[in-house]
Amino acid sequence: MYKLTVNGLHKKYGQHEVLKGVSLKAKAGDVISIIGSSGSGKSTFLRCINFLEQPCAGEISLNGELLQTVLDKKGSQRARDPKQLQKMRTELSMVFQHFNLWSHMTVLENIMEAPMHVLGLSRAEALQRARKYLAKVGLNEQQENKYPAHLSGGQQQRVAIARALAMEPEVMLFDEPTSALDPELVGEVLRVMQALAEEGRTMVVVTHEMGFARNVSNHVIFLHQGRIEEEGHPAQVLSQPKSERLQQFLSGSLK
Amino acid sequence: MIDIIQNYWQAWLWNDGYHVSGVAMTLWLLIASVACGFCLSIPLAVARVSSRRWISGPVWFYTYVFRGTPLYIQLLIFYSGVYSLHVVRSVDLLEHFFREGLNCTILAFALNTCAYTTEIFAGAIRAIPYGEIEAARALGMSPWVKYTRIIIPAMLRRALPYYSNEVILMLHATTVAFTATVPDILKVARDVNAATYASFEAFGIAAVLYACIAFALVGLFRLCENRWLAFLRPMGH
Repeated sequence: MYKLTVNGLHKKYGQHEVLKGVSLKAKAGDVISIIGSSGSGKSTFLRCINFLEQPCAGEISLNGELLQTVLDKKGSQRARDPKQLQKMRTELSMVFQHFNLWSHMTVLENIMEAPMHVLGLSRAEALQRARKYLAKVGLNEQQENKYPAHLSGGQQQRVAIARALAMEPEVMLFDEPTSALDPELVGEVLRVMQALAEEGRTMVVVTHEMGFARNVSNHVIFLHQGRIEEEGHPAQVLSQPKSERLQQFLSGSLK
Repeated sequence: MIDIIQNYWQAWLWNDGYHVSGVAMTLWLLIASVACGFCLSIPLAVARVSSRRWISGPVWFYTYVFRGTPLYIQLLIFYSGVYSLHVVRSVDLLEHFFREGLNCTILAFALNTCAYTTEIFAGAIRAIPYGEIEAARALGMSPWVKYTRIIIPAMLRRALPYYSNEVILMLHATTVAFTATVPDILKVARDVNAATYASFEAFGIAAVLYACIAFALVGLFRLCENRWLAFLRPMGH
């Protein structure tokens, strides 16, 4: 039984076809890394999964429940019932490249906001959850009343991970979570993600960190020009790439 | 000078013997128009930034008209112009409303400040980093929750410094109210001037009163900024 299945996703910007039928299947506990050069469509693919971008065709289902869509005038899919999409998004929480914390809220308010006003938790329950997940990402109570701008990039991204975790999602989506960080801050975020993977959380990660793809994920997808060029277990895909494109890509990146 | 204060201090501050006047009237004009303008401008600002032309277009037109014409003329139109229309005089409710100079003044002021405030708030919405709005969607917020919990609170905070400016400009703009026979500070100053011919003292006292109100407003907004704009303050590491 798959937690998340994505079937034949297509996405066009005008005439330019960015995704040409990309599929993905994630079982509980799977950590799937999506790699590829910039422009290969990997971020677009991730953003289509929770409809931050509207695909033109394809099917997405979470825990066997298919997201019902209709085509709009421009030929993009829209959720037939916005409520279904909103509910699906609460179960698919996302971590962004640029953190996207709400800058006018403190760390604690950032984490408690959606559990209280989307899931309907009481303030006390939300506070308890927030503290629990803050501790999990390695932040203490001294940081909880600071504003995002007063934290380092690594701390901000860990708060963003805590905010996503506080929704207690079925699947977590990570969109290049370490790309905007200074090199010395990358490690602290990757360690948190590794700990989450070891807990058995289902994660889909768009990343440039080959170390993470190799050591933490159990499935790697290499996207090239909007198609899956190669996929499989990281030991196989990253060590013995079959396609020429992937060989080129890997020789260009540090291992 | 002492005579003027002794004889007219009540009129300067709150009552000229017939109605509310002076500082009290100026503050009432300011608070009533700014409060109406504020409440109305929040939904209008949201409409103003809409990508749908049929929603943002009418709001654009409204702010264009009210920011493009002088407040003084707007007041004259609402006070004398509208009342001269046959339609207005034939409907009881409208007749009662527009006969009263104070009503016309507050209506004109509220619509005027609302137009400016709408543009200030719309600009503040555009200044919210798009990623923050995307995060709200990605966490499953409905449009209502997204606006009421994220966009509008962020907008109000970011707009605060510009909004405080608008309120002080509005305070100064209330001086045109005497046109509609509203006894505000300037009206009292004119009466004092007419009665005593002490022009310098009469208008000087008015200027001091306006300055005091402006000073208090600046202090009030400074407190608000300390409270709500802390997130933008750089902090030494």
